[in-house]
Amino acid sequence: MKKTFKNIETILNKSLNSIETFIQSHPKVNFLFGALFEATDGLIRSTKNTAKNPPFIRSSMDVKQYMGGILAALFFGWVLPAIYFYGFMCVVPKLIVSFVVGVFVVDLIWVILAREERINEGGFVTCLFIPAFLPPQAPLWLIGVGAGISILFRNILGGVGHNLVNPALFGRLMLTICFPTMVVSGWQEPSIGIPTIKSLMYGVDAVTHATPLIAFKETGETASFFSLMFGANTGSLGETCRITLIITGIWLCVKRIANWRIPVAYLGSVFVISIIFSLMVGKTAAPPIFQLLSGGLIFAAFFMATDPITTTYSQAGKWIFGIGCGLITVVIRNFTSIPEGIMYAILLMNLLSVPIQSIIQKIKYRT
Amino acid sequence: MKKAYKKGFNLIETYPVKFPETVILVKYDGPVDNFSFSFPDKKVEHIIVNLCPTEPWALPNRVILRNATHDFLDKLEAVRTEYFPDSHCHVVVDHLESNLVNELTQFKTQKDWLSIHTMEAVYPYDAPVLIVKNILGLDIAFGQNTIEDGILILDPQNVTGIFEYYIKETEFNTRLIPISGTGLKDNKILKVKPGTPIKSMLELYVRTDIKYRVFLDGLLNGTEVKDLTQKIDWSTKNIIVIEERDYKTPFPYLNVNELLFTTSLMGELRRCVYCNFCDDICPVNLEPALYWHCYDRGEKHKARTYALEKCIECGLCSFSCPSKLELLQVIRECKSLK
Repeated sequence: MKKTFKNIETILNKSLNSIETFIQSHPKVNFLFGALFEATDGLIRSTKNTAKNPPFIRSSMDVKQYMGGILAALFFGWVLPAIYFYGFMCVVPKLIVSFVVGVFVVDLIWVILAREERINEGGFVTCLFIPAFLPPQAPLWLIGVGAGISILFRNILGGVGHNLVNPALFGRLMLTICFPTMVVSGWQEPSIGIPTIKSLMYGVDAVTHATPLIAFKETGETASFFSLMFGANTGSLGETCRITLIITGIWLCVKRIANWRIPVAYLGSVFVISIIFSLMVGKTAAPPIFQLLSGGLIFAAFFMATDPITTTYSQAGKWIFGIGCGLITVVIRNFTSIPEGIMYAILLMNLLSVPIQSIIQKIKYRT
Repeated sequence: MKKAYKKGFNLIETYPVKFPETVILVKYDGPVDNFSFSFPDKKVEHIIVNLCPTEPWALPNRVILRNATHDFLDKLEAVRTEYFPDSHCHVVVDHLESNLVNELTQFKTQKDWLSIHTMEAVYPYDAPVLIVKNILGLDIAFGQNTIEDGILILDPQNVTGIFEYYIKETEFNTRLIPISGTGLKDNKILKVKPGTPIKSMLELYVRTDIKYRVFLDGLLNGTEVKDLTQKIDWSTKNIIVIEERDYKTPFPYLNVNELLFTTSLMGELRRCVYCNFCDDICPVNLEPALYWHCYDRGEKHKARTYALEKCIECGLCSFSCPSKLELLQVIRECKSLK
């Protein structure tokens, strides 16, 4: 097994080397496909680069592994549970459309047109987010449009490292503006209990039901915490099975890919602030634990808010960022007509993180 | 998660380097440098002897002590009474080496000029700034000569050297130099006469089937040896020869071990993703990414406003950066601006 793998590796390495020399020896080919080759080669092989300046050894962690960690966490956090709850045919086509449109069409055209060096793995992460926060019955073209907008927007701002707000959430904001009814309907009931082959393939019959947060707004009923925790309620594709999201989120924090301060600050502040609101206005405000376990809060706190580029760099700023997200989320959920406010909270705090960072820097270094 | 990751990095765990028990003498007939130690003209109040190397390629302390810790301490006492009579000696050892700690405490009971300190073998805790702060609680600036504050940091090999050469007045012309790395057939501890060119030291031990690069005094903040005829001197601490991996490796995420102890960047140069790895690992609580952002915007002079002078140039920020930014280089460039 290991030997065959080694052989495949050698053959692949040789053929990629010969393609590389071919491309580099033909200027015209290089002009058209050079960037594309570098981009795909970068996903398969390491670079030739060696350390020219001290330190002369470097740690093995690179951006590829960093993004790979997030991808793995997302896969186990929402893709597998979603297949169980809504069926293979509901989840996988959406992922394929999202990846194809986002990475293989928009990003690739961008790489060729803008003559970038590589396709950035960050695109896969963004595209894996898009289906997760749309309803299970969202049409495929909606996913495609969302993925396309997200990647295009990220590239316009300068690619990974320069984006001001979370590109996936920006894509969803555009979808909310352009197709307001599409993104808040089609909440399909998940299939629960022992799965059959049919349910794993196609899910159960498409019965829709309001999400717990919408139901609370309308009738004041709260769903049971147990069902919320294990995903037996309606909701967006990726947000319902909270237990796996919490486990993979904690794994990300332990691996130091996600900064633990943000989920702690975000979830903690939602809890505390909703206690305060419950004491102030009584039953019209949702109870604290229900707030924590409903909507996309867990998903957002562990995966979306922790996107390192769009938060502050300072560690103290991350606490402020998380608390700000929590405050805005609770206020929107309780005092506006919109049932869910996480997207607005994170996007707003993404923008606010720039002044927060500069103020903290000024206080810390007294400049 | 490894505790070592927080503030400083346990290099010994990540890059285990094993040295053999034996010491090999390198023969060289050319001109050699005689031992000399420039005694400080200021009054020395504290002597720090570090027996806890934090880098895996550094000389292990067993080679210096040779199971005769008392001998070494007697030498230290002789050196102290002869040259630094009013000073206090601080010996630093790894807190895991309980045998050594016991031996030292036994010896210490009769002496009031000596104190024993234990330390975790985490890079870069033995950097002068940090070791002085940990032991004496004093803040000294990076690059400042510690003699100005009356502190002498003494290399254990120099203790033996001063004892043998100045007190016993015997011949002392060899220095122990450990050589290690993936560019060698075996790791060795060599007994070298300073003045020997690096080339004649290494020629028996380097691998001929690969490209390699040679470095002096540690990989993180040491220097590269471009010219192998360069000579060893009395301040050389160690030599590392590692493989120059300047070709592409398929599926690097599956072959991490192959790449680990080589000069490979292990990734591509990217933009800063604000991952906080650099300020998590920084032993002096700085935020290196801020300097990079200043540099990137073309405002090198602004980097000084973010406590740049505190940086001890240990190189851990560049080491841990997943975007492979040359942070140490950027810091040095910003520092050199007047």
